Amino acid sequence: MEDTLERIQSVIISASTKARGSSIAFRRQRNPTRPAASWITTSRIGNSTGKALSVVFSTIGCSHARGESGGCTMCSYLLDGTSVPPSAAELVEQFAAAMSKLDDEEAPLSVKLYTSGSFLDSEEFPSEAMKSVLETIAQDPRITQVVVESRPDYVTESNVSLLRSILGYRHIEIGIGLESMNERVRMLCVNKGFSSDDFEQALLTAKQQNIGVRAYVLIKPPFMTERDAILDSVLTVRQSAALWASTVSVNPVNIQRHTLVEQLWTDGLYRPPWLWTVVEVLKRGHSEIPQETNLVCDPVAAGKARGAHNCGRCDQAVIRAIRDFSLDQDPKSLEGLDCECKTDWEHVLAHEDVSLYVHSDRHEGR
Amino acid sequence: MSIFRIERGHDGPARIGRLTLDELETSTPSLAGPPQEESHWLTYSVYERSSSSDSAASMIALPTIFASHDETDTLTHKSSLVLLPSIPGSSSLGQEMAELLLSWQLGFLRERPKSVPPQHCVVRIPVGIDTVLLKEYLSQFSELGVRSASFLLNSELGSDDFSSVKLRSAIPRNWLAIALGRIDPHLLPLLIYLGFDVIDIGRAFSAAAKNVRLWQVTNEKVLEVDHQRFCSCRHCISIDDFGETARDNRLETLTGHNIDMYRQVMSESISKMHDGQLRWLVESRTHASPSMTSLLRRIDREIYEFLEEFTPTIGQGVLPLIGPESYHSPIVRRFRERLVERYAPPPHKRIVLLLPCSARKPYSDSKSHRRFSRAIENGIGRSESSIAETIITSPLGIIPRELERVYPIAQYDIPVSGDWDTEETSIAVDALVKHLAKFSDEAVVLAHVSGGYQTIVNEAESRIKQSIIYTSSGHSTGSRSSLESLTEVLQDLKSKLEIRATEQKRLQDTLRSTADFQFGKGTGSLLIPDSAHLKGKLYHMVTCQVEEVQTCSFIGSSGALSLTMDGGERIAPLDRYVVRFEGAEIKGGSIFAVGVNEADPVIRPGDEVVVVGKDNTVMAVGKSEMSGPEMCEFEKGRAVSIRHKRK
Ligand code: SF4
Ligand SMILES: [Zn+2]
Ligand SMILES: [Zn+2]
Repeated sequence: MEDTLERIQSVIISASTKARGSSIAFRRQRNPTRPAASWITTSRIGNSTGKALSVVFSTIGCSHARGESGGCTMCSYLLDGTSVPPSAAELVEQFAAAMSKLDDEEAPLSVKLYTSGSFLDSEEFPSEAMKSVLETIAQDPRITQVVVESRPDYVTESNVSLLRSILGYRHIEIGIGLESMNERVRMLCVNKGFSSDDFEQALLTAKQQNIGVRAYVLIKPPFMTERDAILDSVLTVRQSAALWASTVSVNPVNIQRHTLVEQLWTDGLYRPPWLWTVVEVLKRGHSEIPQETNLVCDPVAAGKARGAHNCGRCDQAVIRAIRDFSLDQDPKSLEGLDCECKTDWEHVLAHEDVSLYVHSDRHEGR
Repeated sequence: MSIFRIERGHDGPARIGRLTLDELETSTPSLAGPPQEESHWLTYSVYERSSSSDSAASMIALPTIFASHDETDTLTHKSSLVLLPSIPGSSSLGQEMAELLLSWQLGFLRERPKSVPPQHCVVRIPVGIDTVLLKEYLSQFSELGVRSASFLLNSELGSDDFSSVKLRSAIPRNWLAIALGRIDPHLLPLLIYLGFDVIDIGRAFSAAAKNVRLWQVTNEKVLEVDHQRFCSCRHCISIDDFGETARDNRLETLTGHNIDMYRQVMSESISKMHDGQLRWLVESRTHASPSMTSLLRRIDREIYEFLEEFTPTIGQGVLPLIGPESYHSPIVRRFRERLVERYAPPPHKRIVLLLPCSARKPYSDSKSHRRFSRAIENGIGRSESSIAETIITSPLGIIPRELERVYPIAQYDIPVSGDWDTEETSIAVDALVKHLAKFSDEAVVLAHVSGGYQTIVNEAESRIKQSIIYTSSGHSTGSRSSLESLTEVLQDLKSKLEIRATEQKRLQDTLRSTADFQFGKGTGSLLIPDSAHLKGKLYHMVTCQVEEVQTCSFIGSSGALSLTMDGGERIAPLDRYVVRFEGAEIKGGSIFAVGVNEADPVIRPGDEVVVVGKDNTVMAVGKSEMSGPEMCEFEKGRAVSIRHKRK
């Protein structure tokens, strides 16, 4: 049986690699001195709310996606990267450009350092650049929270102590795409390429420096029924909270270009999760985790065909409720939502499990 | 214990069966859906994911391979069918994935022989898996005791649906076949025809949730249409306007209506199956959409052998052949192929007379053919046995007069408009060319045809060696002038070819041709040798005696021969239509499949067969109730109804 699973995994990896295809060759060469994106949002910072600057650095992209392993089945961040690796100086310049957006903002502020991969991977983000970026932050007393993203492999003792020593008293979180606590789901459905042990190890390492881990939980990887997805995400939320993740961020799959998920979606073999599913995960997840753990969700492309969506009539109201809940952590925000399509969703939950028929938009219309 | 027994074939692969799950007994074909207060179907639910009231469901699905779930130890006490774990949405990942999903299920069963008894288990057949590969795996499942398989359909009528249908044809004949997924009501007759025993009606619920009302062939979005259709069903009757109906009421009404639609189509299909007219229902449903039509055509083309094996060679009542969907239906195609293969014209035929078919069947009872026969008699008198009367018809091609009573020639009914489409023309041309090739080059072909029939002869002409004389030059074939010209031409030929008055061979020709058609070439002269004495009225009953012993009799109403023990002994050495019986003695009026390990694979339900014992002697003759391969494969069921047995 283990052998069969391994072979299933290799089929998925090669399908994922194939879906990515030659797309990587067509990556844009970006202006190396500008970030791929940066924006300001209202965000939960500690126990209050404030402004958060998110910076997506333009880098050569995720090592997992660049390599032989094919990358994750739903992710095309690699395509957002640039074909020529920016120098350390250029990365620092990217950061300065983004930081200017915070000029008129007041404390408390949060800065989120994203790349199309791992901020802590020195191949992707040279250490001099990392140090320089962190030092710039350290000089700004308004910034009380710093979030970086990384695969667990790079959450090393030296990296976390560097973070702590430069950023000092600040609240630090490392976002890790755990996706699922279920080994099979993470390794096969997502092709994540690291184990639960790797994740736990990273978590312990970070904890030594009093650095929190923000666990990203994926809602509805491919090859799962809608109900599989709910059960798996709720379980993952609970277990990662129990492991002392400081924030659990649930992310409904969205259809990104040149991914296996996109190919399945085109063939009518995959449907992004219903927003009802997201609500269900948040509701059940919230009731099963300790008070101090934040449970948040900012669904990408929500309400659109490529993102988590419902029937189209109720989507905006449900998305608003999800956002409200993410800010106030009050389960009441998720109550009182209703729409006719909820009946359809309930049917899908029961029927997909039995039939394994994918109630995709292509088959079912929207 | 779960047992599936096929009780009654056959109308194509469709069958009536009985599924026994401990206390529960259901006849199949059956619908399957989620548990409801009064469900008239097999219920399904998911292992440990449904409310406790659902746990009594008759089908339990195990969670997918990737799902987090606990061990399935508790299944032992359940009397349900168990759907094995697989994954959704994997059909585009190719053969290797499909194979791995089967091997996973196999491994799953092997690791848990106690908690999940294989007899209860349903293999989920991966969409698109190669048939040969599937068969290899199925034999392993079979060895473990598995007897059921499920298939996924999406009602798109495209390659996925075709794949599932084709794979259905590859499972052992005595397995239970379950269709899951989205199945619109208009697919039901086809699925039942193809031998699906259990059909998922989950679609009734999801359609209702989307405000879709399902009908026999179309779907209606009740909140979007300009004109809501009237429905007299017990659910809809109280509703004037769905737009003004409260949501709960609307949902309940639509769900009720949709479920009843499935029940209605199901019962219509079963009723048609009993009448032997399910194929007709399937063909008429293909008019719902071009994709239905092309799906059926593809099925006819690619799994003909499967359809044909279960299609009886006898039948009652009218057989409607309604259009292009019938051109390649198994009954029709089999007739055309058998004619080419098995018919040999009697050697004394010197003239081939091509005639149009008649709306009335059998042909010779029709007005037009009675006129033809008078004209023939006037022309050639007592030498009519030298004429090979050949009737041209669609979509069966051509029919020798001797076989006009054979099934389905005496039964079929077609729209007679006189217009032939290209396909039926080419079918007839082909049949005519092959038929005439069986006659000597010196034979004279008389074409007493007009209109579309004449086009066929014209188109065939370049591929025919014999010379053709047209006898109805532009006039309708039944007109006085045409008939007179036929008579004159025959009078001419009679003297030119020096045809002398011969003895009447009509009975012999008919019986021998029928024998050849029924049992294969060469059997006619064995059963009806030259020394045979034929007694009776053709088209009523004719008996054949050889030295005072009867070998067979021809029954006009069925157009078939029935054998006596002596007849059976005469053809047994050819080893055709032989069923080998393992038992020592035949008790009662039947032999059962359990006693048969070997039978001619060509045997079809309804065929006249010879039962041979272990000592190689004929034990009985009778009528087969199933196909030869079924007799060998089945452990249950009546294989042959005995007509005569050794005393
Ligand atoms: S999800 Fe994260 S780890 Fe996976 S390919 Fe994308 S960036 Fe890399
Ligand atoms: Zn809705
Ligand atoms: Zn109705």
